[in-house]
Amino acid sequence: MVGKKKSLNIIRLGSTLLITALLASGCAKTPAVDPAQKAIKVGIIDTYTGGAAVYAKDSLDGFKLAVKESAAKGGPTIEFVTRDDEFKPDKSTSWSKELVMNEKVDFLAGTTNSAGSLAVSQYAKENKVPFIDWGGMSDKVTGSAGHRYVFSTIPNTAVIGKAGAVQLSKTTFKKVWVAGSDYEYGHSVINNLWTNLKTIKPDVEKAGETWWRVGETDFTPYINAIRSAKPDVLVVGTGGADMVAFMKAVKATGLAQEIPVWAHTSYDPATLRPLGDQAPEGVMGTNPYLSNYPDTAENKAFVEAFKKEYNREPAAFALYGYMGGEFLSQAIKKAGSTDKEKIIDAMEGLTIDTPVGKATLRKEDHQVAIPMSYGVIAKVNGIFAAKDLHTLSPEEIMPSVDAILKSRSK
Amino acid sequence: MHFATLASQLFIGLSRGMIFFIVSAGLTLIFGVLRITNFAHGVLYMLGAFIAFSISTLFGQGPYGFWLALLVAPIAVMLISLVIERGLLRFIYNRDHLLQMLLTYSLVLIAGDLVKIIWGTEFKSMDIPGVLRGSFDLWGASLPLYNVFLLIVGPVVALGLWLFLSKTHLGKICRATATDREMVDILGINSTRVFAMVFALGGWLAGLGGALIAPTTTISMGMDANIIIYAFLIVVIGGLGNVWGALISSIIMGIGEAFGILFIPGIAIIIPYIIAGVLLIVKPSGLLKSAW
Repeated sequence: MVGKKKSLNIIRLGSTLLITALLASGCAKTPAVDPAQKAIKVGIIDTYTGGAAVYAKDSLDGFKLAVKESAAKGGPTIEFVTRDDEFKPDKSTSWSKELVMNEKVDFLAGTTNSAGSLAVSQYAKENKVPFIDWGGMSDKVTGSAGHRYVFSTIPNTAVIGKAGAVQLSKTTFKKVWVAGSDYEYGHSVINNLWTNLKTIKPDVEKAGETWWRVGETDFTPYINAIRSAKPDVLVVGTGGADMVAFMKAVKATGLAQEIPVWAHTSYDPATLRPLGDQAPEGVMGTNPYLSNYPDTAENKAFVEAFKKEYNREPAAFALYGYMGGEFLSQAIKKAGSTDKEKIIDAMEGLTIDTPVGKATLRKEDHQVAIPMSYGVIAKVNGIFAAKDLHTLSPEEIMPSVDAILKSRSK
Repeated sequence: MHFATLASQLFIGLSRGMIFFIVSAGLTLIFGVLRITNFAHGVLYMLGAFIAFSISTLFGQGPYGFWLALLVAPIAVMLISLVIERGLLRFIYNRDHLLQMLLTYSLVLIAGDLVKIIWGTEFKSMDIPGVLRGSFDLWGASLPLYNVFLLIVGPVVALGLWLFLSKTHLGKICRATATDREMVDILGINSTRVFAMVFALGGWLAGLGGALIAPTTTISMGMDANIIIYAFLIVVIGGLGNVWGALISSIIMGIGEAFGILFIPGIAIIIPYIIAGVLLIVKPSGLLKSAW
């Protein structure tokens, strides 16, 4: 009996191995090789399920549009495969390995989860596989944890914080109350904003700070407490569902009429659409991209092309994915090669035309430099939208290269 | 600190406590009578909010939509609860607690994906009806009218529960089952029917909580995980299965958190745990008598 069981087990093991081998050979099918130039394959790791899926979908669609446009113009062939990390950084790492080993991808891209971006970036560094971050906003990605193999086509929290500081430095506010969601994004935006504001305008003082947990549903006690301290301005670092809930509470309590409020993406359609007619008028903010701003032919063409392809307006993440595809395509062209190291060299300091104007991947830290808008929420033609929009130039809002290189050498 | 600020913060904390009470009363009832750790209670609350949103949207986010949503959404959640109880839970009443937790937790995961399939991932928001918008002036400080509304609804629900538990036949059976289930069985009362009704009532309360919070916030996935932590804390502090314990601890939690936010805003995130820790050190068995 024992012997029979053992031989059965061996047969089972053997067949499992055989099936695995068959599957593996199927997956690792050699791609169609162009004799002149082989296709570059991008492995995209992002959050395609769960609450953050809306961003991943936007960036993927933007990237697909860039790839399609590049191919139509006779540019390099770019192939891609996608993997779902379910917003879990450990999955991002294991998918990175799988994509590089099984799918033989040349580039990695993604990930909406900042912790995931840092995880993929670490893998990219160790294995010398370039990674384009178009989803994670942590300033560490191209800041203190930056290296040769990571690029970012999304304005990170260092840029957002500095943009907010520049905008607020143009006001007369002195007593500043800072508040936000108690997690990486919230703290990072606020820290960057406060350090920059203190440098540009040394006479500002911090009146106090409030941190709420991610997913807070009732903001009235927070707002009531802040209101009683009577600061000149309230600066908020929050995002996603918390942003909508917070803005709703600002409207319900009438806070904005008493104390000016600033929040990044306050007038973004993703915030305003769910708010309907309960958006708080007068709330200030900054925003990297709007489908109607800048009001240029390039942006209009991008919006038209995106609408035609996907039947909806592009949001900011669509631009980040689009820029990821564009930078890659132009870098391959500039390098005249499909060698990864040569593409990286071509990408460093590369400037391209984008829907928001000239965009540069800075040579020193690989962070994209694009302009940002600032404005306020107001009722325009009966619906809430952005008003008094102005542009902050990349020179004004990009963090200094020296500081970044210094933080890396630590 | 201004007196008006303290007063308005007190009322805001109280209204926050009212939502806590409505949700945790359902959870504690289920705890007491069914002896089940219902992780899916937060899901029922989330469903209440999403269904309220759908009903309100159907009526163009107008005032009728809101009142109808407040009426219909809890009933819809009650029906869903009945299906869950009759279809799944009733088979595991006499099984291991671990198994009950696994089942209710799996419901949390399934419901999360179902909500995404049905309602999508975009953030949802429901309008506050015109009559409840704006603020009420409180000696110079302001109190949003919707919070005043919650301060009325909370006590009404508490009163209704009290009438149900102490004056109706079914309520008396509920209390008896919570105290001594075997005795109730010996008396020849069909306890499974009581279980179904209590679970449905618990579901109705969770759905009502969700529908009430819906207009003030973002309706999104993950709402369930958020409330369930508070609900469990409150149920444990109040004494497992004791509805009045849940009422007292909800009020303590709501007001405690509001004042914590006012005086130590930097660490607002851990205040509920501080409150729970202190109360459990002082009275480890819960504030009122536990049904267990």
